[in-house]
This record gives sequence, structure tokens and C-alpha cells, in this order.
Amino acid sequence: MFQVLMFDGGVYKINEFYELVEDIGGFIIQKTQIQVMITITFAIPEEDRPIIEAKTRELGGKLLDVPLAGTEIVVVGPTLGRHHMPHPICDIAENLRRYGAITVVMGLARGKGKETAQINAEERAIIDEYDAAVFVVGNFRDCVEKYKYKLWADIQVPVVAACGPEFESLPNCEAIVCGIGRKVERMRRPEEIQKLEEVADKVQSIIKDKRRDVDLDPLFVHPAEIKDRLDDLEAIQDNLRPAPVVLHVDGVRAKVPYEQFKDKIADLEIYGRKLGDIAVITPSRMEGSVLIKIKTRSQVESEDLARAGKA
Amino acid sequence: MEIIAEGTDKEGAESYAQIFEHILLEMGITTVLDKVYMLVRPSDPLFVISVKMRKASGAKPVNEIAELEDKEGGVMINITDENYAPRLLALLWKTFGRDRVEQLTRYEVYVTGVNRTAFWDMTIDPEEELRAQVLDAIWKLVPEGLKIRHTYSSSDVLTIANTEHGFQPDWLIKTEEIHHNMEGA
Repeated sequence: MFQVLMFDGGVYKINEFYELVEDIGGFIIQKTQIQVMITITFAIPEEDRPIIEAKTRELGGKLLDVPLAGTEIVVVGPTLGRHHMPHPICDIAENLRRYGAITVVMGLARGKGKETAQINAEERAIIDEYDAAVFVVGNFRDCVEKYKYKLWADIQVPVVAACGPEFESLPNCEAIVCGIGRKVERMRRPEEIQKLEEVADKVQSIIKDKRRDVDLDPLFVHPAEIKDRLDDLEAIQDNLRPAPVVLHVDGVRAKVPYEQFKDKIADLEIYGRKLGDIAVITPSRMEGSVLIKIKTRSQVESEDLARAGKA
Repeated sequence: MEIIAEGTDKEGAESYAQIFEHILLEMGITTVLDKVYMLVRPSDPLFVISVKMRKASGAKPVNEIAELEDKEGGVMINITDENYAPRLLALLWKTFGRDRVEQLTRYEVYVTGVNRTAFWDMTIDPEEELRAQVLDAIWKLVPEGLKIRHTYSSSDVLTIANTEHGFQPDWLIKTEEIHHNMEGA
């Protein structure tokens, strides 16, 4: 199994680090360099962690566990109006990024109000593309328990609900964090930071469960391996978007237009097979992106058997 | 400043009182308001906010922010405090009409058909600007979905009732009552 870690240190001799990751069969997921400091998110085979730890010590860096690395989380607010943005939605998103997740912030077109709040099919489909969703709603008990929960009722991915009033539970969500609600300033007080940590904990536990489910019927390849192949494409190398390839728990999002690149992506070779055979490649609802969902080993094997039977 | 928040959802009302305090603090207008009353009934939904403003201090006579000089056929105004320039110009337009007010340079304004005596009692009152700021703070506070509004306004009290679909008659009676209570407070 691959493990995703983060290196935090200086750029001195950093090429040795890249080479080592490559030599042990790992992949660099993301590099962020600020002057002479660099953070690198990378995936390596679990059993090789001691080798990387030794190299990190040698380079004087720090090795951090990033439990949400390799995930893409959406933080959803009722609207993008100043009543809901930027706090606390952006604070939650920022805190999740500290744990390695790629986050996206989204406001609903008609999410405001009590009885009039609604989510449309397009918005639901967009949210379902992510690994998990965090819904941030307001301060009124009556509004949240009678109406607002309907916003995430039909979302297929796990949902964490963040709201102001205290609830034991709310329908249709995997976890709930109370005591957040509306804010007009940054969440920087100790009790507010604790709430942000609580949201991150709940998301981590959801992702852990999701990964455990995936491990029961493992994917044919790890998403990082697909990213490694996609990185060779010129369209990805020339892409100006901050993270042209984003890892999901069970796949990858490549930020290139579907119509133009679907065949090139499907023809990529991984372990002697075409990517199109071991993954489902579909256009993303986000314009100019491709979603790649990796098939499980059993699925690929049964498809192989079916093909062999026909032959 | 005193903030009273009442309603069917005590926690929600209190949190909105806190939010309003933060908004005022952020906008730097905490000293403008004397009293704030909120009625929060999310189940209806009805959100009433009533604010009583303090008398704005620091109204400046025009001759303190500009030099006035009688000229043939009018008065030449030389603005000495730039901060008041836009408000002075707006006041002159309002008082004498745009035709008679001519802005010659950034700080020089010529008003035709008057002499200096016309400016003796003229003051620039920051109240209107503060009122606009208070209104902005209220818009920032009121839940976004409560789009149906009814306003009661008097010299120092502003009361706004907000709901989602439409007002019940007794809600507006209650709002008016709140408005009058605030006037008497």
C-alpha cells in the first residue's frame, strides 16, 4: 500500500530526495516552494518509510503525516454572499488544506433562506465528484433541523454538517460539528480553532472509513500511479492551473478538457494495460476537467474473464 | 451601547446580537448607536431590528473647513480641509442647485447669486453618512434569505422588519410597537 506523507524543509540537496522517492517506487504529488523552503507531498510504499525518514533527517527537514493528502474535499455554503463568505467557510477549507486535502469552496445558487433554500441536480452532481463534503449552515435551530438538512439529503458522498445550534444528530449526514454558524471575522480564538480541528477530525474519520472500504476490494492501481503517468502528458505539464492533477481516494481528476484528451488519457499504459481498460474516464461537471475512477482488482479480473469467455 | 435580543430562538438571537456587535466593531461605528433591539422568530420567520442612533456630534460650520470670499456676483469657496470636500460639494448642490455651483479646481468652488451671509448657518452634518453606514451594517446582519422588508424610520430610530414570504398583519403591528418603544427609550 502507498502512504502519503509531507516533507517540510529546505531546497538544499532536494534533488536527492526526489531521486530517492523515485528509486523506491514512490511519486511526488505536489511541490510548493517558497524561496528556500519547500513542502513536498509524496506517496511511497508503506514499508519504505524508514528510508525516507533517514533521508529527511539527513536533509534537516521534517516528515509530516498528512491524513487527508490524496483527497479532494468540497466545503459548501448556502450562498457566496457576504453573510456566509469568507468566514467560516474559507477557514474550514484552509484548515483542511493543512491536513493535506485539496479543497474547493462552493456556494449554492439558491441556498439562502429557510423554506426557499434549495440545491439543484447540477450542484448535487458537482458535489458528488468529491471525496467528502462539508456543509456549513447557520445559527437558527428551527431553520437547520426542519429545512437546511434537506440540502445534503441526496448527496452520495459522505457529508459533515457544521452549524451553530447544538444537535445530537441531524439526518443524512455522517458527522456533525455544532457551534460554528455565522461568523463575521476569522476563526482565530482558541475555542474556534478547536471547532476547526473538530471538523478536520470528522473529515479524517470519514476518509479513513472510505479508504478502509476501498481496501476491502483494492483498486487496480493506486491513484498516485495514474498521476505519475498523467504528469508525462504535455497538456498537464503546460497546464497553468495550480494542481493540474488532483488525487481522489478512488481515482484522479485531471484538469484538461475531456473531448480533446479523453483518447490520449485512455491510451496511457500502466502495468501493460491501457488506462481506459482499468478505469472509467468521464467528463467532470467542472468545466475543462476529466474524472478518472479506477476500477477495483476484482472488477478488472471479472472483465478479463468475461472477455476471455467471449473469445 | 445596549443590545437586546429576544425571540423564540434564544441561542440564535444571542448569536445574532454578537454578530451585530462584531459588524459594528469592524466598521468602526460602535459609538454611533445608543440602543439596539432585535426580535428573532425563525419559525415564522420574522427578524426585526431596531436601532436608536446617538445624536451625531462634530457638525462642522462651513467657514471652519473652507475660506469664503465675496466676489462679484457670487462667493468663492476655497476648501481648506480636503476630507469634507465631497460632502461640502454635495451640500452646495443640494442647497443652491447644480447650475449655480461651479467647481473650478479640486479645492475651489464658485457659487453664483449669493454672498457670504448665506453660509453663516450652514453646517456639514455627518449624520447622514453615519445613517448610511448603520444601514449597511444592518444589511450585513439580516439573514440573506429574508427578502421581504418593511421599514419604519424617524429622526433617530430605524426599524426594519424582514421575512421570507410576506408579513402577517400582527407582525407589522408588533414592529411598529417596537419602533415606538425605541423612540421613547
